[in-house]
Amino acid sequence: MIEAARTLLEGLGEDVRREGLLKTPERMVEALLYFTRGYTQTPSDVVNGAMFHEEHEDMIIVKDIDLYSMCEHHVVPFFGKAHVAYVPDKKVLGLSKVARIVEIYSRRLQIQERLTKNIAAAVMDTIEPRGVAVVVESRHLCMVMRGVQKTQSVTTTSAMLGIFQEDGKLRTEFFSLIK
Amino acid sequence: MTTNGECRSNGVMKSKPRPLLSRSCSENYEINDVEVPGTPKTPRTSTTPGHEKCTFHHDLELDHNPPTREAMLPEMSRSYRLLLGSLGENPDRPGLLKTPERAAKAMLFFTKGYDQSLEEVLNNAIFDEDHDEMVVVKDIEMFSMCEHHLVPFYGKVSIGYLPCGKILGLSKLARIVEIYSRRLQVQERLTKQIAVAVTKAVQPAGVAVVVEGVHMCMVMRGVQKINSKTVTSTMLGVFRDDPKTREEFLNLVHSK
Repeated sequence: MIEAARTLLEGLGEDVRREGLLKTPERMVEALLYFTRGYTQTPSDVVNGAMFHEEHEDMIIVKDIDLYSMCEHHVVPFFGKAHVAYVPDKKVLGLSKVARIVEIYSRRLQIQERLTKNIAAAVMDTIEPRGVAVVVESRHLCMVMRGVQKTQSVTTTSAMLGIFQEDGKLRTEFFSLIK
Repeated sequence: MTTNGECRSNGVMKSKPRPLLSRSCSENYEINDVEVPGTPKTPRTSTTPGHEKCTFHHDLELDHNPPTREAMLPEMSRSYRLLLGSLGENPDRPGLLKTPERAAKAMLFFTKGYDQSLEEVLNNAIFDEDHDEMVVVKDIEMFSMCEHHLVPFYGKVSIGYLPCGKILGLSKLARIVEIYSRRLQVQERLTKQIAVAVTKAVQPAGVAVVVEGVHMCMVMRGVQKINSKTVTSTMLGVFRDDPKTREEFLNLVHSK
């Protein structure tokens, strides 16, 4: 991988022997591996048994979860926030585990639509709630730094499962709470 | 540094401003390196280090004009494909099929500054004007690539200069930011290169550049500090020597 990184640098026209770039292939590979470490993690790894019985029937929302991912089309970062809500069915999830689930799926080569679905499906599979809602808002550097170059534009995607799909009022309540 | 070199003080012009690079007063102004160390040569030629493989330069009959890096696209795409496979992905799945080419092209775009030279960007937009007050263009968006991790960093650049008979077209200041930021960079060097470029362009009495950046290599990995910003500045000429001028510039940059 390091040789591939070095070839990339040469292709850009840089001098790979200059001081600032000497260790760059190694650093770059290490960074890429970090940005894609989600491939080796599954929800059951990170949830670590943090599921508890609770007779709570109202919506639980963890919002403004910072999210950093890599666009699979250009290998350029996109980042923003995820808002995750669920209506429990006798089981609640440790709150940080929601954020950890976001991490596993975002630390991969992703497209925002799939990432959103992945998060929703994982929460659904883990605690089998009555419904899950996920909204992801992010800025795509591949759109900001190149191509169309729109700096303020934010892409929003959502996934609604179970009771969030059926109940419009619940959905509205969720959207107003994450504003 | 004597007060004779000041263009203005307390809002009153004391004497005619002395340019930064004029032979008669170059001893008063210290630009140790007109070329900032670590700056690759642009536009790239066959003798530019790392560029020897580019077959374009070896054909002397062709008009020597970039783009030349497109010749490296196939090799870069192969590198990306290898990287994708090693990261645990399947490079043949539909979403990733054309990714090596797209990623290589994106990377070339992020480093297109290597193909641009100061002269061609300025396009002679230098005008004689008897203006001796500070000119500030602030909050110029900047997108660059960290040379240590090849991860983006972005932010704002504010440039101020004190003209000495010559002013620069305003968009050229933004274009100067573009040439130097669209490269593999270190924020400190980027700041200095912008200042030196403005100096070379219009020989003003002083140049000040402030760059405020967010480094994704610090935000997305490593120490993971999301709200932290890095601020670097370069002060040349009057901005370095006169605290009042510097203060005025910094006030203008920070005002809403």
